[in-house]
Amino acid sequence: MDVTIAILVTGLTNGALYALATLGLSLVWGSMGMLNMAHGSMLALGGYMVFTVAVSLGLPVWAGFIGAAAAGAVFGGLLYLGVVRPLLKAGGPGFETSVMIATVGIAIGLENALLLVYGGRPLPQPFAVPGSVQLGAGVMPWLNAVIVIVAFVVMAVMGYLIAKTKMGRAIRATAQNRDAALLMGVPVERTYLQVLGLAGALAGICGVLLSSITQLSPTLGADPMLKAFIMCVVAGLGNLPGAVIAAFGLALIEAAVQFALGARWGFPVLLMLVIAILIWRPNGLFGRAQIRRM
Amino acid sequence: MAEHKTPALAVDGLSAGYDGPDVLHGISLTVPKGQIVTVVGPNGHGKSTLLRTISGLTRLRQGRILAEGREIQKLRPHQVAAAGIAHVPQGDLLFPEMTVYENLLMGAYTTPVAETVEKRLDFVYGLLPRLKERHGQIASSLSGGERRMVGIGRGLMAGGDVMMIDEPSLGLAPLVIEQIYEVIGQLRAEGRTILLVEENPARVAHLSDVMHLLDDGRIVWSGAPQDLLEREELLSTYLGG
Amino acid sequence: MSDTSSRLPVSAGRSALRGDLAIGVVFLVCAIAAPFVIESKYLIGQLIVGLFWAGIAVQWNLLFGYAGIFSLAQMAVFAVGGYGTAMLATYLGFNIWLAIFCGAVLATLFSMLVGLACLRLQGVYVALLTFAISSVVYLLIVTDTACFQMIGTTCRQFTGGASGFSRFGDFGMRQLLRGDWVRGNYGIVLAGFLLTLISSWVIIHSPMGLAFKALRDNQSYAIARGINRFHTQLLVFGISAFFTGLTGGLYAAHFQAIGPSVFSMSTLLFIMAIAVVGGTGTFWGPVLGTIVLMVADELMRDAGQFRTLGLGLLIAVFVVLLPRGIVGRLSDFLTTIRARRAAPQQGD
Repeated sequence: MDVTIAILVTGLTNGALYALATLGLSLVWGSMGMLNMAHGSMLALGGYMVFTVAVSLGLPVWAGFIGAAAAGAVFGGLLYLGVVRPLLKAGGPGFETSVMIATVGIAIGLENALLLVYGGRPLPQPFAVPGSVQLGAGVMPWLNAVIVIVAFVVMAVMGYLIAKTKMGRAIRATAQNRDAALLMGVPVERTYLQVLGLAGALAGICGVLLSSITQLSPTLGADPMLKAFIMCVVAGLGNLPGAVIAAFGLALIEAAVQFALGARWGFPVLLMLVIAILIWRPNGLFGRAQIRRM
Repeated sequence: MAEHKTPALAVDGLSAGYDGPDVLHGISLTVPKGQIVTVVGPNGHGKSTLLRTISGLTRLRQGRILAEGREIQKLRPHQVAAAGIAHVPQGDLLFPEMTVYENLLMGAYTTPVAETVEKRLDFVYGLLPRLKERHGQIASSLSGGERRMVGIGRGLMAGGDVMMIDEPSLGLAPLVIEQIYEVIGQLRAEGRTILLVEENPARVAHLSDVMHLLDDGRIVWSGAPQDLLEREELLSTYLGG
Repeated sequence: MSDTSSRLPVSAGRSALRGDLAIGVVFLVCAIAAPFVIESKYLIGQLIVGLFWAGIAVQWNLLFGYAGIFSLAQMAVFAVGGYGTAMLATYLGFNIWLAIFCGAVLATLFSMLVGLACLRLQGVYVALLTFAISSVVYLLIVTDTACFQMIGTTCRQFTGGASGFSRFGDFGMRQLLRGDWVRGNYGIVLAGFLLTLISSWVIIHSPMGLAFKALRDNQSYAIARGINRFHTQLLVFGISAFFTGLTGGLYAAHFQAIGPSVFSMSTLLFIMAIAVVGGTGTFWGPVLGTIVLMVADELMRDAGQFRTLGLGLLIAVFVVLLPRGIVGRLSDFLTTIRARRAAPQQGD
């Protein structure tokens, strides 16, 4: 039974982290048809920001969370102004790929900038929760519980912002019909800026949580981002609720496979599953052709 | 009557087009306050382009556009909307995954005051009771006529000075078309200012104060609706009969 | 330059051929003269590396620039070619030339499998899936710890594990040319690159190339005109993989080593940068891009730690400011000049 508990703990923790990463990717894809390859490096940015705020500046850890979210948001905004907006203006069917290539470049740039600033050796992460709790035959570290709780709070806030506020309505409207949103008076460029800012803030917080169970390194976001991509694809790009469901589902499967076959087989099995799903449904489990959903 | 001298909307020498050559050549027309001005003409001759250019969605190449005497041709689409020009586009362009209620709220995006929005919502629900029944339904699951009503309701929610309605009859069954034009008739009775685009002049003659016949990007005839209907030769030349 | 030829009448196609031929001759003369003019063995070594990058970029350009398939598995295909060569030579004692050829065939099969998985997918879904597949191959290799063979006291994993393979044979130039073996290797690698380059020219200008471009520019129209998307896509995956795998085999044989570092994101980025800077969808783009980036790389050698940062930003800047790359911009420029020159003549 302790294996079941271990799988659940690992699966739910990773699921929460993947869900946050997936949400940011899916939000950006859904609103402007852009695959942000720099998302993983933005996770790393968040992780390092909490280090700077809490260790270098000596402020409390909650301030580190805010600092990470703010840094992510600012970076997202700069990404929009410097790269995405000019590419959107140039327009054309090439946007999808050109923005991918450009953000790959930005990702490498940001990772190396972090490397130059913080150095190559792994740094300790100030956000930590000691202790654990006995669950039947298994053990759950409190850190994992806190990660899941924080992730759910962040997702609830995001869900509220998107579903209930005027800004969220404008974001969804722009995603569903850009021209119509313009005709309603929505400043679409500002909406895009907000979307990348929100996604950046999400990435920042996700980076803090993520680096608390791994370690700080410039490439810490690469592996979760890859899996988040996979989950977005399974859910159908741009589908937010679907992305969260896919994140938890696939994380649990991954954890189960890792316990059954060994850690190195988790991702390959996941990928096989995804390929099978895509051959069956090329637009993802919950996706529909042509229509972007948010 | 002094304020009536400044038309709600005026277009002066407007030329516009997409990537290629001009689609519209030197269009001039005015929409006085409280009137319904209709542009009729065959499909594919620039009627929608005219409305899209006024809204700023299609680039203007020459000419001026004036709202209440203020030049707006340089404004971006969302600024034109904020300047009081509500555009009910062809084919509705609803937000397909939003509810009817949310679609209507989007119409009032530029209105910051919650009470004003409530008041307009009450007005729209009064005018189009079907929308009240369906307020929680996802827009993409509505019938064609209902979608058109959401489009008009969304335009009304903006509370703009001028409403531009692009072919409200397009693709609807005759019975539903009648209902839609009944609604526009009610708006006329309310004294709304409307720039209407329609292919078939007979459908809208009774609603219109002035009619313009648009052919190949030029206005070829303007006048009272009854006069156009009596000009057999115009109708057969430009509208095929 | 030549990419516009398909849209122009036959005479223009011929002039494109003449243009490509002229540039090709100049390139060939320089490439052949290089080892005789250049003294430094280091520089010749760098030229060989440049030929490898250019070869991979030419094939990626065929896939992405011409067929519109945004594959991120290009380095994985290259690695299959290299690993195939190394493993066949190590385990089965294949002659190096046979091993290189078989490695290329393996790369083709691998790529066609990837293509099969991507068959029904569009745009970014293809990019993500190919990216994931190559990451999985990489992870499986570096996490491989099971001993397959004991060599002395160290164990070798079947896939070479984190350290890869080395000393499984070379081109035999060391025995043949002694101190000049680098020049010999250069000749072999150059021959391989020319094969890659010429084959891609032939493909681009063949009916098959037209089908690629048709699918890239307007998929539904192309399908309506009877182009079989599945066959065409598999074909381009296969062809481009054969030559990419061949380049991988030559790479392994030249360095007498291959390891998991060829999968690294920065290598893939370098290839993409070459294509983007030179101009995707242009024939000479990858070649020019390689020259520009190799020179820039040499100049940035002093800046050491800023090199990758600079490379990343360079890509972003080029995508934003010069989306068609240097060659694309040049050919646009030439077209306007020609159009201006032609205009008064038409008036006469």
